Amino acid sequence: MSTAPAESLLGLGDKLLEIDEGKFRQVVGLLEHMGDHPDVLRTFSMIRPRLAELRPKRRPTLKRLFCEPFEDLFDPVLPGEKTPVNTIERAVINHLWPLVEGQLGSEALAAFAAQQREATDAGNAAAAAELAEAFWAAAAEAVRTVALLLETGRLTEAMDLRISPERMRAVQDIATALAIAPALADLKRALAPKPLAKLHQDHLDEVQAIGRRLAKADGHALKVFVLVAAARLADPSLLLGALWHMDFGQKPADRAALFAELSGSVVSHIEERARAMGEGKPGAADRLAVADLAAGLVASLDATRKAMEVSRRSEFDQRLKQVRGAVHEMVRTQLLAGAETDILGTVETAVGKDGVKQAENHARALRKCATIADSLGLRTELRQVTDKTVSALTGAAQQVLGGSQQAAAADPRAGYAAIRMIELISGPVEANRILGEILDRARPL
Amino acid sequence: MRSLTNFTPATFEERGAAVAFTTPVLAQTRVRKDERDQLEVLIPNLSEGRGVYVVAWKGLPLAFPMTVHDRMLQDLIAKNGGCSPDDLRKAAMEVARLGLAGPEAQEAAEAAHKDDEEQRLLINFQLIGEVLKAVGLESTDILRAGLASEQGQRLTRTYMIKAGQHLGIEPTELYLRVAELASAMEPIGLVSSPKPARLRRLMGELVRFRDSIADWATDNVSEAAPIGGFCAEVAEHTLNHVRTVIGRLDGAVASFEVLLRQWDTQRKVVRQACTRLSWLLDGWEFITALWAESQGKSRHELDIAVHEIFRIIPLLPRNEDKVDLSLEAGKVFTLNRRAVRAYVDWRTGQLDADLVMRIEALKGRAA
Repeated sequence: MSTAPAESLLGLGDKLLEIDEGKFRQVVGLLEHMGDHPDVLRTFSMIRPRLAELRPKRRPTLKRLFCEPFEDLFDPVLPGEKTPVNTIERAVINHLWPLVEGQLGSEALAAFAAQQREATDAGNAAAAAELAEAFWAAAAEAVRTVALLLETGRLTEAMDLRISPERMRAVQDIATALAIAPALADLKRALAPKPLAKLHQDHLDEVQAIGRRLAKADGHALKVFVLVAAARLADPSLLLGALWHMDFGQKPADRAALFAELSGSVVSHIEERARAMGEGKPGAADRLAVADLAAGLVASLDATRKAMEVSRRSEFDQRLKQVRGAVHEMVRTQLLAGAETDILGTVETAVGKDGVKQAENHARALRKCATIADSLGLRTELRQVTDKTVSALTGAAQQVLGGSQQAAAADPRAGYAAIRMIELISGPVEANRILGEILDRARPL
Repeated sequence: MRSLTNFTPATFEERGAAVAFTTPVLAQTRVRKDERDQLEVLIPNLSEGRGVYVVAWKGLPLAFPMTVHDRMLQDLIAKNGGCSPDDLRKAAMEVARLGLAGPEAQEAAEAAHKDDEEQRLLINFQLIGEVLKAVGLESTDILRAGLASEQGQRLTRTYMIKAGQHLGIEPTELYLRVAELASAMEPIGLVSSPKPARLRRLMGELVRFRDSIADWATDNVSEAAPIGGFCAEVAEHTLNHVRTVIGRLDGAVASFEVLLRQWDTQRKVVRQACTRLSWLLDGWEFITALWAESQGKSRHELDIAVHEIFRIIPLLPRNEDKVDLSLEAGKVFTLNRRAVRAYVDWRTGQLDADLVMRIEALKGRAA
C-alpha cells in the first residue's frame, strides 16, 4: 500500500467505529498489512471494542501467537466486561514485543513467520500446533532474558514505558505463561466457553489434572495457571472456593502460598469493584443495576469468606468486613428507602411507560435483595419493606378486581398492574395465590 | 408427563404451535391437541438431551412454577380451545394488553392490535378494488369520497352491484366472498399493499435473520458457529416454502376474476395457503427478535442467543420438506454437546427473574 492511502486510512479515526461491517473488515485487513507502526497500533487500540464485537478473521501473526497463552489476562475492551485478577496491560505487550523480537533475532523470527504462513496456507493444524509450541518456548526464554535485563535497569530505555512493580510482575507472568503455554491451551479448552458462569465437577477435574501435570514440572507456574483459570470465570472467587480442595500434588506450604496469593488478588479485586460502586451514584432508574452489583459483590464476598474459613486464614477478615459494610449501606439507602412510595405510586397514578419501568425495576431490585439480605444483616428491614408494599398492592388490586360496584367502573389494568408488582417483589407463586383469592371472592356464588 | 426421545413430527399440527409464555423453561414451547382432542404442551430439552417432554395442558402449573402472565394465558387458551398459531397469537395479545408482561409488551400488543384493525380495513378496501378492477371499473371515486364516508359506502355498494352483475354473482354473495378472503388474507395482505401486513413483514425479518446469522457463523471462531450455521439453514428451508406459498397466493389474487368465478375450488386453495403460511412462520417472530436484540452484545451473549434459538427453532415437519431437519438437528446437537452444556440456565426450571425480564422485553419487540 502506498503511503498516502495508508495515512488516509489512519486519519479515519472515530469513523472506523461507525462504517458498515463489510468495510470495517476490509479496513482491518489493510491495517494488518501495514505492520506494527505506532499509528497502526493506536488505530487498533481505538477500534478494539468493535474488533472484540465483530471478531473479524485476523491474519495470524507471531505477535498474536505470542499473546495467545495469556490473552485472558488482558484488560477488558468492552464496557461492562469484567477485569481479570492481575491484569496485563496491552501497552506492556506493545512495548515488550519489539524487545522480544530483538532477543529472538531476525533469522529465527523469519523462520517462525515462514512456518506460520506455510501452516496457515495449508490449513495444517498439526504443523501450526508444533510451530506454536516451539515458538512459545523460544519466546518464554526471550521474555525471561528481557525481565532480567529490565530488573537490572538495562532495557528500561528501550522498553520506552515506565516500569512499575506491577508492570514488572506482568512481564514475569508473561514469561511464565509462555513457558506453560501448552498446559494453558488445554486449560482454555477445558474452561470454555469464556466466561464460565458455573464450575462443574468435570471442569474442576480437568483443572486439577492439568495443574498436577504442571506442578510436577514447574511448581511456580501454578500461580499463572490459576490466574488464567480464574480469568475464564464469570466470578474469579468461584475458583477460590474450589481451589482449597484441589490437590495439585504440592507440598502443604506451597499449596497455602498459592492459595494466599490468589486470595490476596481476589480480595483486592473485590475492593476495587466496591470502590467503583461507591464512586458511581446511580439514579432511580438504575436500582436494578444497584441490586445486581450488590448481589455480585455479596457472592464474591461469601465465596471468599468460605474459602478463608476452610483454609483457616483471617488476614483478610477486616478488609472483607469493610466491603460488606459498604454494600449494606448501599442497599439500605438506595433500594429499601422509599421503595413503597415509589412502587405504589405507579399503580395509583398514571406515570407513563418509563415511570412503570422504573418502578418495576425497583420491585425487581427488592426481590434480588432477598437473596443477599441475610448475608448483609438486612433481613428484618427488607421483610418490613416488602410486607408493607405487598399489603398495599393487594389492597389496590382488591379494589379494582374485587367485584364491587366501584371495581366494575375501574380499569382492570390497574388491578393487574398491582398484581404484577406483587409478582416482581414476592414471586409468581404469591402473586398467583393473591390473584386467585381476589378473583374467587369476586365470583358470584 | 411423558418423554419422547426421538421427536420427529410429520405435520405442523403434530409439531404444535408456539406459545408466547414468559416463564423461561416454557418460553416458545409448543401446544397441540392429543388424540382425545385435549390440549398438551411439548417442552424441549428439559435435561441435556434431545427430545421433548409432553405435559397435559391442565397439569402445566403443577409441573412448573409459572408467571401470572402465563397462568392467565394458559387459562385463556384452555377456555378458547383452539391451538392454531392465530388462536395463540390472539390469546397472547389479550393477556399482554393487561400489562402482565410489562409495559413494553403491553405497548407492543396495543400497537399490534391497532395494526391488525388497520390491515383489516386496508385489505377489505384493496379486495373491493381488485373486484372492480377485474370487471374494468375504477375505485378512485370511492377513494376520493373516503371509504368510511357515507358517500364512499354508497358508491362502493353501487359499484359492487355492477361488478356482481358483470360476474354473474349475487352482490351479497360477492360481499361474502370478499369478506372471507379478507379474513383469511388479513395477516398476509396483498403484494400491492402500501403497508406490508404482518406475515410479509415477518418474512422480511426472516430473510434478515438468515443473512445475519449466516454471516456471523461464517466469520466466527465461536463454538456456537456451527449451531448458528444450522439455524441459518433452517431459516433458508423455511423461506423457500414461504416464498412458494406467497407466490401462489399473489398469483391467485393477480387472476382475481378467476378466483371469484371458480370460488369453490379457489377458496380452498387460498385458505390452505394462508393457514400453511401462518404455520410456516410460527415461532420465528420471537427468534428474529431475539437475534436482533443480541446484536452488538458480547460474544458470550451472542453464543447464548444462538443456543437458545437452536433450542426453540421451528424445524419443518417431516412431510413438509425433503430434508429431515429433526435428524440434522440431532447431528448438530451431538457434535456440539460440550458447547451446548454450559447454557443450562434456560432449562433448569428455576424461575429466574432476569430471564423472565429478557423474554418480556422480546415480547415487546416481537408482538
